Amino acid sequence: MEAACWQVVGASVRGAGHEKTGQPCQDAHAWLQTPAGVLLAAVADGAGSAAQSEIGAATAARSAVERLRCIEAGVPSPDDTPGWRAFLLSGLQAAQEAVEVEAAALQTSARELATTLVLAAATPNCVAVAQVGDGAVVVADRQGNLTALSPPPSGEHLNETTFLVSPDALDTASCFVWQGDAAYLALLSDGLQMLALKMPEGAPHAPFFAPLFRFASDIAEPAAAQAQLEAFLRSSRIAERTDDDLTLLLAASAGTGD
Amino acid sequence: MAEPSQLEEAVEFAENPEPRCACVLLLDTSNSMQGDAISALNAGLRSFKANLIQDPLAARRVEVAVVTFDTQAQVIEDFVTADLFEPPILTAQGMTHMGAGIHKALDLLQARKAQYRASGIAYYRPWVFLVTDGAPQGEPESVVEAAAQRIREEEAAKRVAFFAVGVENADMDRLQQIVVRVPVKLIGLNFVEMFVWLSASMQKVSQSRMDEQVALPPPGWGAV
Repeated sequence: MEAACWQVVGASVRGAGHEKTGQPCQDAHAWLQTPAGVLLAAVADGAGSAAQSEIGAATAARSAVERLRCIEAGVPSPDDTPGWRAFLLSGLQAAQEAVEVEAAALQTSARELATTLVLAAATPNCVAVAQVGDGAVVVADRQGNLTALSPPPSGEHLNETTFLVSPDALDTASCFVWQGDAAYLALLSDGLQMLALKMPEGAPHAPFFAPLFRFASDIAEPAAAQAQLEAFLRSSRIAERTDDDLTLLLAASAGTGD
Repeated sequence: MAEPSQLEEAVEFAENPEPRCACVLLLDTSNSMQGDAISALNAGLRSFKANLIQDPLAARRVEVAVVTFDTQAQVIEDFVTADLFEPPILTAQGMTHMGAGIHKALDLLQARKAQYRASGIAYYRPWVFLVTDGAPQGEPESVVEAAAQRIREEEAAKRVAFFAVGVENADMDRLQQIVVRVPVKLIGLNFVEMFVWLSASMQKVSQSRMDEQVALPPPGWGAV
């Protein structure tokens, strides 16, 4: 089979709330494509209550995809859910360890680098997702059907989530494998969840994703596309609805949108 | 390739109800609050509203209710979003049925949360903000003990954050036996500053996402 190739654009921007208080953007994202055509993508959302969570988020996202690149040689088959869980958990674990190392280097506790982490791997015949805390992954098949691959926001209260530094983070991580030929993929941090998903069930809102997926399939120049995505995330229409940090990572599989 | 403005126009957002952040102001209106104290409290309530509505997100997300306690515990104003909140003008009279007031406030919160759930509205951990210048008086001790027990259970289950502020001659030791968090002693009758702080804290909570806990701005109006 010919390796699938992805067009990817991602942006993390500081929310209006953090601009007001002078806090940095505590969201981060990372992605890479392996020579075999597997897309690895991560979105991390640093805790607002942790002092250096922007470092935790960046470290977690980067080290998770780096780790999976190293062991990507043999990805599990689409129906091997336990295999995918083990594969993705090794990425989460690498991120957890990297955050702990970073915290030690900064002479602070890992708690101050608290972050969520959503990790996705897309092959030509499946998309697998594992995550700790909030954030969402949405996949579109070739017919344009959208599926959310994340559990709806959990916990009784909004201001509660699980972080990568929690002792039970890996045990409670959710994992989901979607079998099929993905046309598009979106990863988003929870700042966008209320705009992109219909609550409380967490179903993808198609009029949100359709124009963004078209945009991703038309990418001509990556830097310009990223600037456009950032401008969109900073637009006043979004700022009126949320003042949280925002991350959106879009991927279009080759051969879509023509 | 699409211009940024085109992307902005093309993308439609899901219509979800605003998440809510409920706050009960549980206020002592017993006889001893008469005079300057109740006037200062009323002025504080007005500045609370004025501050909250300056923040568009907080104005839509923070829901305020007012419960007073004297010889009876009463819901003076049921939950409304901050933009619709009408600061009441309170008067002082009677005994200090604090236990009954605590029960009333927690009942009100419980009912509101049930409404949120029934309507699919997401919500933050709610707050109760108790202000008193005395100690429970004129009601059976068992009512107060049951109220304190209820606060302990609700706090342990993270269902509420229950704050207490003592004014002037408040019995701080007694207050500490009732609430879990360390009560704060108001400096003078600095209600305006206290409510400005509360407004700032609620704004912070209403903008937080899923953080385990929000670091609150340090109070400049009281002493622990």
